[in-house]
Parts: sequence; C-alpha cells; structure tokens
Amino acid sequence: MGLGALAIGSLIGCRSRSSDGTSNVLFDPAHPLAPKLPPFPGKAKAVIYLHMAGAPSQLELFDYKPVLMKLDGQDCPESLLEGKRFAFIRGVPKMLGPQAKFAQHGESRAWVSEHLPHFSTIVDEVSFLKAVTTDQFNHAPAQLLVHSGSPRLGRPSMGSWVTYGLGTENQNLPGFVVLTSGGKFPDAGKSVWGSGFLPSVYQGVQCRSEGDPVLFIKDPEGMDRDLRKASIDAINEINRKEYDEYKDPEILSRISQYEMAYRMQISVPEVMNINDEPDYIHEMYGTKPNVACFANNVLLARKLVEKGVRFVQLFDWGWDSHGTDANLAIDIGFINKCRQVDKSMTALILDLKQRGLLEETLVIWGGEFGRTPMQENREGKQNIFKGRDHHTEAFTIWMAGAGIKKGGSYGETDEIGYSTISGKVEPFDVQATILNQLGFDHEKFTYQFQGRPYRLTDVKGRVIDEILS
Amino acid sequence: MNFFLSKKIVLVITPIVAVIVFFVFSSHQSVVDFNTQVKPIFNKKCITCHGGVRRKSGFSLLFRADALAKNKSGKPAIIPGDPDHSEMIRRLTVNDPDERMPYKHEPLNKQEIDILKRWIRQGAKWGDHWAYVAVEAVDIPKVETGWTKNEIDNFIYEKLEQERLKPSTEADKPTLLRRAALDLIGMPPPEKIASQFLNDNTSRAYETLIDSLLASRHFGGKWAAMWLDLARYADTKGYERDDSRSIWHYRDWLINAFNQDKPYDKFLTEQIAGDLLPDPTDDQYVATAFHRNTMTNDEGGTDNEEFRTAAVLDRVNTTWQALMGTTFGCVQCHSHPYDPFTHEEYYKFMAFFNDTRDEDTYDDYPLIRHFTDSMHQKLNSLTHWLQENVSAEKAIEVNRFLRTWQPSINSLTADQFVNSELADTKFLIFRNHAVARLKHVDLENKNLLIYRYISWKKDGIWAIHLDKPDGPVIKIISPDTTSNWKITETEIPVGSGIHDIYFTYTNPHLKKAEDNGQQIDWFYFTEQFPGKGKQGYDGNKKIFWSLLTVQVPTTPVMMDNPTWMHRTTNVFERGNWLVKGDVVRPAVPHALNPMPKNAPNNRLGLAMWITSKENPLTARTMINRVWEQLFGTGLAETLEDLGTQGIPPTHKELMDWLSWKFMNDYKWSVKKLLKEIVMSSTYTQDSKLSSESLEKDPFNKFYERGARVRLSAEQVRDEGLCISGLLNEKMFGSSVFPYQPKGIWLSPWNGAYWQKSEGQDQYRRALYTYWKRTAPYPSMMTFDGTAREVCAARRIRTNTPLQALVTLNDSAYLEMARHFAYRMEKAGKDLKQQISAGYELALYKPIPVSTLSVLLKLYDQSLQKFKKDKDKTCEMIGENDQHNNPETAALVVVANALLNLDEVITKN
Repeated sequence: MGLGALAIGSLIGCRSRSSDGTSNVLFDPAHPLAPKLPPFPGKAKAVIYLHMAGAPSQLELFDYKPVLMKLDGQDCPESLLEGKRFAFIRGVPKMLGPQAKFAQHGESRAWVSEHLPHFSTIVDEVSFLKAVTTDQFNHAPAQLLVHSGSPRLGRPSMGSWVTYGLGTENQNLPGFVVLTSGGKFPDAGKSVWGSGFLPSVYQGVQCRSEGDPVLFIKDPEGMDRDLRKASIDAINEINRKEYDEYKDPEILSRISQYEMAYRMQISVPEVMNINDEPDYIHEMYGTKPNVACFANNVLLARKLVEKGVRFVQLFDWGWDSHGTDANLAIDIGFINKCRQVDKSMTALILDLKQRGLLEETLVIWGGEFGRTPMQENREGKQNIFKGRDHHTEAFTIWMAGAGIKKGGSYGETDEIGYSTISGKVEPFDVQATILNQLGFDHEKFTYQFQGRPYRLTDVKGRVIDEILS
Repeated sequence: MNFFLSKKIVLVITPIVAVIVFFVFSSHQSVVDFNTQVKPIFNKKCITCHGGVRRKSGFSLLFRADALAKNKSGKPAIIPGDPDHSEMIRRLTVNDPDERMPYKHEPLNKQEIDILKRWIRQGAKWGDHWAYVAVEAVDIPKVETGWTKNEIDNFIYEKLEQERLKPSTEADKPTLLRRAALDLIGMPPPEKIASQFLNDNTSRAYETLIDSLLASRHFGGKWAAMWLDLARYADTKGYERDDSRSIWHYRDWLINAFNQDKPYDKFLTEQIAGDLLPDPTDDQYVATAFHRNTMTNDEGGTDNEEFRTAAVLDRVNTTWQALMGTTFGCVQCHSHPYDPFTHEEYYKFMAFFNDTRDEDTYDDYPLIRHFTDSMHQKLNSLTHWLQENVSAEKAIEVNRFLRTWQPSINSLTADQFVNSELADTKFLIFRNHAVARLKHVDLENKNLLIYRYISWKKDGIWAIHLDKPDGPVIKIISPDTTSNWKITETEIPVGSGIHDIYFTYTNPHLKKAEDNGQQIDWFYFTEQFPGKGKQGYDGNKKIFWSLLTVQVPTTPVMMDNPTWMHRTTNVFERGNWLVKGDVVRPAVPHALNPMPKNAPNNRLGLAMWITSKENPLTARTMINRVWEQLFGTGLAETLEDLGTQGIPPTHKELMDWLSWKFMNDYKWSVKKLLKEIVMSSTYTQDSKLSSESLEKDPFNKFYERGARVRLSAEQVRDEGLCISGLLNEKMFGSSVFPYQPKGIWLSPWNGAYWQKSEGQDQYRRALYTYWKRTAPYPSMMTFDGTAREVCAARRIRTNTPLQALVTLNDSAYLEMARHFAYRMEKAGKDLKQQISAGYELALYKPIPVSTLSVLLKLYDQSLQKFKKDKDKTCEMIGENDQHNNPETAALVVVANALLNLDEVITKN
C-alpha cells in the first residue's frame, strides 16, 4: 500500500464528515480496522462477553432468597401481578422456591449456588451487578437491547461500536469475533452482532468450530497454498497494472485486502485450532474435541484476545428454563447448562490472570433478563416441569478484569428477588461502563446517521462507578 | 510552460478577487440569507440548548414564532428591525461569563455576530430549507464548449469551469458497454446487444445500445433490487422465530413495474394505497405489500399490539426515508431540533397508517388470495350476478371478502379469558368451562357467522352471549371436529347495534383442566348469502363457498378498517407507545405542501400528496437515488436525509432541473430520466484519474471523470453467472436457494433449513435468492447488502478481506470459475486464445499483453502442479468427467483469478 492510498484514505474519511461538523472520521475506508487510540486511556484493551442466551435464572445462581423458599407453592400475591405483563404467566401462578442450595464464598462472602462449584472459587475476582433491569420481556428484543442499545433491529452492536472506535491490533484476524454454542443462534439472530448503520466491515465475524472457522477461509479443494499464493500474486500484479492506468486509490486498497485475505487464511485456522494447547489447559477448561461447545469457545476467546482481537462475543443457547420440557426445567436441564459453563468460565478468568491478561481484558457474563420468582403456568396451566417465566425487573450479571473491582457487588433485590431495592442498573449502564473501561465517554462516542448523532447508549447510561476499582 | 505560468497567476489572483468581492458585498446593505448564513450559526452554536428538545429559558430557535416569542424573562430575545435592543445580541456580546452565550462555550466571532445583527435589522426573516421548497423550473446555464451533449452537461460544465477543472474524454466502447449494461440492467449485456454495439460504427450506436438496454427484460431486475432495500423486502417475518413469509409476488410486481416503466407517481400511489383505488386489481393489492414487508413477531408471549405498533411506526419512517429522503423518525420521541417537524405531526402522519387491518397475526392478515384464472372467472361471474340480482355494494363486499377474507375479526383481539387463552399468543383457544370476550362487534342486520377454526373434541358446546358472560345466548354451536383449519358458517338471529360478545365453551370430553377443545382464527359476522329466490342462487352460493375455502397462495397486503373497527391514533408521549397522549387525526406536516384539493384524508390522499408536483421532496429524492445508482454517490450524498442535517447537494440546480423534467416533461417516466442521464457527456467520461484530478477532485464531486465504483452484492453474483455462462435467465416466482455453506440457519424454535434448489434454479439472478432476515445469504452481506430489517436508503461500500475470500473460495464462485474455464476452452484453439477470450468475455476488450503474460505464468504454475497430482486435478474439476485433465484444472485457476480482478468487480 502506497502513501497515496494512506493520504486518500484519510481524505475519504473526511468525506463522510457531515455538514454540521460532527464527524464519522473514525471510518477510513482504506484502513477501516487500523488500530486507533481511545479518547482517554482505558483499562481494557479487549472485551470477552459471555452471553447466556435464553436468560439464566438469577434465583438459582447468585441471588439467594431464603424467604422465597418459605413461600414455595403458595399463590402469588395479587400485589405482584397487578398491572404487570409477563410473557407466559397467566392468572395467578404459584411461588417457586430456589431450586438450589447456596453458600457464601471467598473473602467477599458472595452467595453462589451449588450449581457453580468452580465459579464459587473465584468470586473474589469478579463484581456482581445484582439489580439489573430491562424493559424487554421477549428474548430477541431484550438481547438486542443488551447488545445494541435498542430493542429494535437496525442499530450497531457493541462489538461493532468498539471495533469502529478502536480498530483492531491484529490485521490478520477480524477485529470482532462471534462464537456460538448450544446448537442455535441467539434469538435475535445475527443482528446481535450486526453493524447496523455502521459500515459493514464492523459487523462481527462469526468463527465456527465446525466447517470453515470463518466462512470461505479455506482454499477450494485442489488448490494448495502455493497455488493460492501464486493466484493472489497474479491478481495483485494485474491490479497494480490497472492502478498504473487508472490511479484509483481504491485499487491499492483492494490489493492490500487480497494480501490480508491470504494472511487471514493462515492465521485464522491457526488461532481457531485449540489442539495445540497443552493438556492442562484442556483439562482446566473442560474442552471437548471437535465439537461446537461453550468450553471450546471460551478457550478460543482467550486465544483470540491473546492474538489481539478486540471484541469476542460468545452466545450459548439453551437457558430459557420455562419448565415446558426436561431440558428447560429449572431442576434438570438448567443444572446441565450450569455444568457446561461453570468450569470453562472459571478457567477463563484464571487463565487470563496467569497470563497477565486479566488486567486488560474485560469479561462480562449475563443473560438478557431474569426469571420470575413464580413458577410458570403457561396459558394459565401448571407447566409439566418446574420453570420460571421471563422477568424484567431483576437479574444478575457479573464482570471481571480491566479495572473492575475484585470481590465487588452492587445492587440488591427484595426478599423474594422480584424487584430491585437499591443499586438498580440497566443494560445502558453496563454498556456505558464497558465503553468507559475501553476509554470512551459513552455520551461523546457517536456516529452521525439519519440526521443525528447516534450512540450505543441511546439517551441513557451511567458508568457504574460502584464496581470500578 | 506559459500555460503553467498563467495558471499560477490565476491561482494568486483568485483569492485577491475573492477578498475584494467579499468586502464589496458584505457591506451593511447586503441581504443576509437565513438558510446559508444564519441557520448554520444557530445549528452549530445555539440549537442544542435552544431547539426542539431543550428550550433553556423558554427560548427556542426552531421556528420563527418561537424565536420571536416572549421567553421566561417575559421579553422576546429577538426584536425584528432592532438588533440593539434584542436580548439575543446583548447576550452574545456581553462580557460577564455568567450571562454570555453560548454559555460556557467559545463566544461567536465578529463575523457571526455581524451576520446576526444585520439579519435582525433586516427583519429577522426566516427562510425555508431548500429541500422543503417546491421544485421550480431552472434556467440552464450557458456554457461555451463543444463538450456538452445535453443540458445535464451544461450544469456540470459550469461547475467544472468554476473549479478550473476539465472534463475527461469519452470512455472507450467496451467500457461504455459494460458500464451502461451494469447500470441499466444490473449485469453484463446480453450477447446480441453487445455484439450489435461493438460492431456498430455509426454515430447512433450508443443511443441504440441504451434503447436496447432500457427495453431489455432484465432491466426490471436491477431496479427492483434497488427498491427491495428501501422496501426492506425479505422472505421471512423477522424477530426470533423468523418464519417464512410468502411475499415474493411483490418483488415480481416491482420487476414488472420497472420493466413497463410505470410512471413513478403511479408506482408510488399503488404501493401506498393500491387497496384504496376504485375496484383494485390483484396487482394493485400486491403493490401495497410494500408496507407489509414490516416484521411480524411470532415469538411466544409477545404483545401483538406492541409489534403491530412497531410495524406502523416503521411504515411512517420508511415512507419518509425511502420516498421523501427525510429522517422523520427523529420526531418520534420529541420535536426535531433541526428540521421543521413537530412531535405531534409525527403522530398525525402516523394516523394515515394506523387504521389498517393488520394486527401482527401469525398468518400476516390481511392477505390477497391469488386465484387461478378459472377461479377468477368464477369470481367475476359471481360478482356480476350479485350486481344484477342484489346490489353493487353487496357485490363489492362479497368480492372483497372472497379475495381477502376481510374484514374479519382476528381471534387474537379477544380478551377477558377464563379457562381460555391465546395459544402461543396467536389464536383464541377454549378449554373446558371457557369464557372469552370479543369487544365492540357490529351486529347490525347480521344473521350469519362465518369462522375459521380447529376443534379437537366432539360434543363441544360453544355459546355466544350478548354483552355479558351470562348475557342472553344468541347461539349455541357444536362445531364438527377437525384437526386442520376449517371455514364454516352458522346462522344467528338478526342482530342490531354494536355489542361486546362473550363466548362460553364446555365439553364433556375434556377431562383435564389444561386440555384444549377448540381454537379459532377469525370471525366474520355477516348476512346470509344474498339473492335468495333469484335465478342462479344455488349455483352462486356454491361458487361462493368453493372460492372462500379453496387453498391458494397469498400475499400480505394493506387494507383499512371498516368504520366500526376504526382505530384512533394518539400521540405517544416521548415516543413510548404505552403512554398515550392527545388523539390526533391524519394530517401532513405544516412545513411542506398542503394536501391537494379533493384528496381524501386517508392513505390514498396521502399518496396524492406525496406524488403532487408541489411536494418538494418526492422527485428530488428519486433523482438523487437514480443518480447514486449511476455515479456511486448522490448529487446530495446523504440519500437518507435531504434535510438540514444532510450533506447539501453538489449541484442543486441540476437536481432541481432534473426533478422538474422528471415530473413535467417525462411525466414521471424513470426510463426517460435514465436515458437523459446516460446520454450525457458527463456519464460517458473515462474514469481514469490523473494526479491533478486526484488532488483537486479526489471524490469526483465535480464529475471531471466517469464514475468508478465496486459492483453491488447482486451485481457481483449476476456478473459471475453471466461470464461463466451459468446464468438461468428465468424470471419471477418464489425465491430460490443457491449453494450456501452449512450452519448458516440456526433460528431458535424454527426447524427451517436451507434446502439447496435443484438444477437451474441455483443459477438465478441474485435478487431471487431467498432472503432470511436473521441470517441473510452470507456473500450478499459480505458485499455490503443490508439485513432488510428496516428501510436502508443507502448501502455503505466497504473493501474488506472477507470480500476477497468470497470470490476466491466460495463454492458458488468456484463453480462459476469451472464453467468459465470450460467456456474459455471452447472459445479458443490454443491457450493464449482461450485466456484472451476469457478476458474479453468479462470485459469486452482485448487483453493487454502484460496481463496475458501474468495469467500464462499462473497457468503454467498450475499445470505443473496438476500434472503431478491427479487427485488435486480431480478436486479442482469437482466432477469426474471430460474436463478432468490437468490443462482444464489449470484453466480453472486462471478463471478464478479473472473473476477476482479489480476491473471485473468494479464498474469502470
């Protein structure tokens, strides 16, 4: 890439500057992913977001409610139902006590249930947000709200914002990688890692454990690496001649993209191959060979961050414990889901720590809403298995690393875990905090679109100082 | 040498002249222009605190009336004619930092204050933003040059001269051929058109080419593809479940409309209000699917009213965004800080769309039912019989009901459930001892109930009560059991007035409380089939029932509520649909043209308003869009926003001149408009950059050269299919499933999977590819396709390594390379001829020697490999047939490279 292209790149960037002077200058079409400095020094260089799609129950994991146990089986008081809307609960449901035993752990004396025996050993590394609320009680809109700041489709996801603002350290890998497990995509589909109105280059790149790790990364059968190298060289040589004739800087940009594509073809399969990791790491994470499972994805997330990927987004599907079948029962399937994530998410924190990466990697764990203290009675009938309905008024997420307080906890819910009583936060606040740790003021980090500046946190958001160290 | 010298002098003189001119004209007498001088200062320095949202001290600069009104202090800030006593000027110039405005920000500079003072002295006149003023006839600039071919060039040349730029020479014929074809039909030219043009040496050759392309049946495919982004067209409903939706008839309607050059005003009218035209045809109904491309949420537990409302808001935003280049969505939550639209006006506008029959139902009701020709004949004869024997009104009513099943009452509007529920929040379901209510049903003269239902258990007793759950029973029904949807009728006593209806249901066979007995989709209260005693009654009643119950394909359409179902519209406080404010009636914003005389106050009237020549936005928006399709950038870059926040047009007069012509001279003909533009010298210029142009006009804002733009996602695919000879030219029909890697579709609660189309359907044009909202076709997305969730007025082009990976490695493109190689083999006797032929197939011009040598080298390298490796040869060819030899395999590698050349994926 010549200097000319560089110069023109910055000029093109100016072109997308809108008339009133607000700028989208962070977008340089010639180098859309070049690393950029944040407005102020951030604690985090990278983010790993572990999203439990379907929304795990806070009442069986972190929000210990002995009073709810006593109310188990009783009719839900009218006062909790008046004027409320639920996804499936109709009429008067019964209260459902916690379906797990709880104990306090670590110096922070954090309550964690028996379902997360590994995680309970690292509670002093994380901060809990125990009074998170949302206003969306369906999965797709709620997931969109968590990741794009809007329950409707069309806004850029958090990872897109971050790669737009910071670029990526490793030009041979995508800047924003998405990994899914649990056999399904999250309910909101690919929109939760879409780029919305930001240029599409910032959309999350889905890396897969089965098939090509990145779509079309593998050379066609019959074409070996040498031949691919030869063909890209030929393409670029002809393109350079074309540049000599047309002098269009976009041609230089294309040449560099083909070179990068070639390098990605080597670096992506390398980083996506976990087989080279030592046995003790596999043991630590509880990986399984050659399947698309959460544990493998968590290990991949660590590898990707280590290689300079900016934002790694994991979705694990299957947490929607309504009690409509055994897999979705809070006392059966849910426990299996916990087993699938407990060891690996714990390993992630410990592994990042032992590599000195935890200080600069922000890890977030959570769902899109919580679960009701009542047992679900779909369409007014008791469900066959024990389950809980979607609940917007209180749920728990935890964060760790990159300037997050160790052993912290913020926010409280009432004695049955129905409503928040202090320290209430919304997804916007979590987003503001994530941006803050990366070095952005969420109110100033905007993109001009449809005549006005847009930001991830819409018109809301507050940095949750209470969990910052 | 002299030339350079004189140029330098010019460069020195220009600023001096400019300074003198400035001094002469900036004297106190010169009239201040609000839009270009005052408004920018307001927008930059004042409006954040004194605009639509925040009105600090009660002072707002949004409208003149606000700005001149008394604010909190009791005094007006601006006194027209008297800057010295205007508080605004005092506050801008005062020294006390607590008083001085902008508060805690840099003060305005002298020039800015001078402008504001003079503006107030001259009467503080408000000006309208250019895009909100009706289009007027524009004088064509006089220029002296032999370069111009039509008036467009006069406008362009005038600016070029001002900028001291020179237009480029005309591009060579192969380049023009490929450019015009990609622009007009969206793919390379059909062979016949290409050879005719390349062999035609007359002066009319180019015009003949343009005429053939405009007449080509492939024309509609290109322009429909553009419109699909605006219409947010997709083959699925969106949100979590993202189930399939059959709406491709709308896509076909678009292709036909563009091919037939349906005048743009008619084109818009049918899409906005086809259903309200007199005697609407099926096609006119299908056109209204434009606004049924909104998403429907099938996720269990969702509030149907919430998502109905979301769809209506989307219709409002899309209407403005797509048809009028305005970001109206901004005033959804509060009045616009920059443009002259108020919060209340948003909801008045919404009222045009809010009274429609759609209610986020699973089946996307209302639908047009696509009858076969013979069914249509039956329908026509039935309609005719009703006209003759009953009345014209009855004929219309029955005709509409058979074609749409409307206006029926969706069961999901039921409430007050006891032992009943909306199953999966979609259909009313009864269990034993069930009660449910239907609100506000018109029973006047009704003596028949037609309904669509499923009944799992026999002996169910379904009673209809008036007004109360234990109110008078007007009917007891025991429907036949059926496990599939069935439509049937039951007589009821003649009713009067509007009532709440209560259903009760018991069934002795329902043992458990949670067992379901019966489920209902919709209810239609009507009169018995009319014309009893008239000749042909029995036969026509039979036809009625056969047409009513026949299973036919459908398309979601727009349809208004009958009066008794009327839905009022409220302002949503701060945009929250749950917090309803004042009731509003349909109206258009004050800042724009008024509703045309005689326009009804409904969607049809709205369409008349949008397509009125007085509407300042409609023609300009389309001109800008067409220009962007041809030149890569609109005359105003922000296609989505012509308002004060958009980027102003580079050639406003040209935009207006074309808009005027489009409406008045071309009578809204898109083909005539396109011809005018592509016949201009501006369009036919060579697209090479010189170092001078790179410096002076790097983005080609002044059109000193032809446009050079990467192909769109659709064009990349269509071109590959054409070059390789694989393209299946078949048009229309349901969407197709070309090759897609495994694991792209994994929607929760939806067992759908990508079943690759058989045979030739794999090679259809890109616009026929099945579009799933939550998982669109991957290579389309990589090339900047939009997800079609909401209206996308513009695609932002990017240049990424992932794009390279698609055209290098995607199996679909490898297959193209193979067939391209076979085509090359046939086209030449020796290798050189073959590769040269390949290059010509792609670019219509002879291969440069240097390019040929690079490709020959690549061929040799490949051949050496394949000669040594039978397996790799076999893999490269992919099938064990007559092509399975090292030579062909090597040619596939060359073909793959050709398909990846910048020249090939770029429009030169």
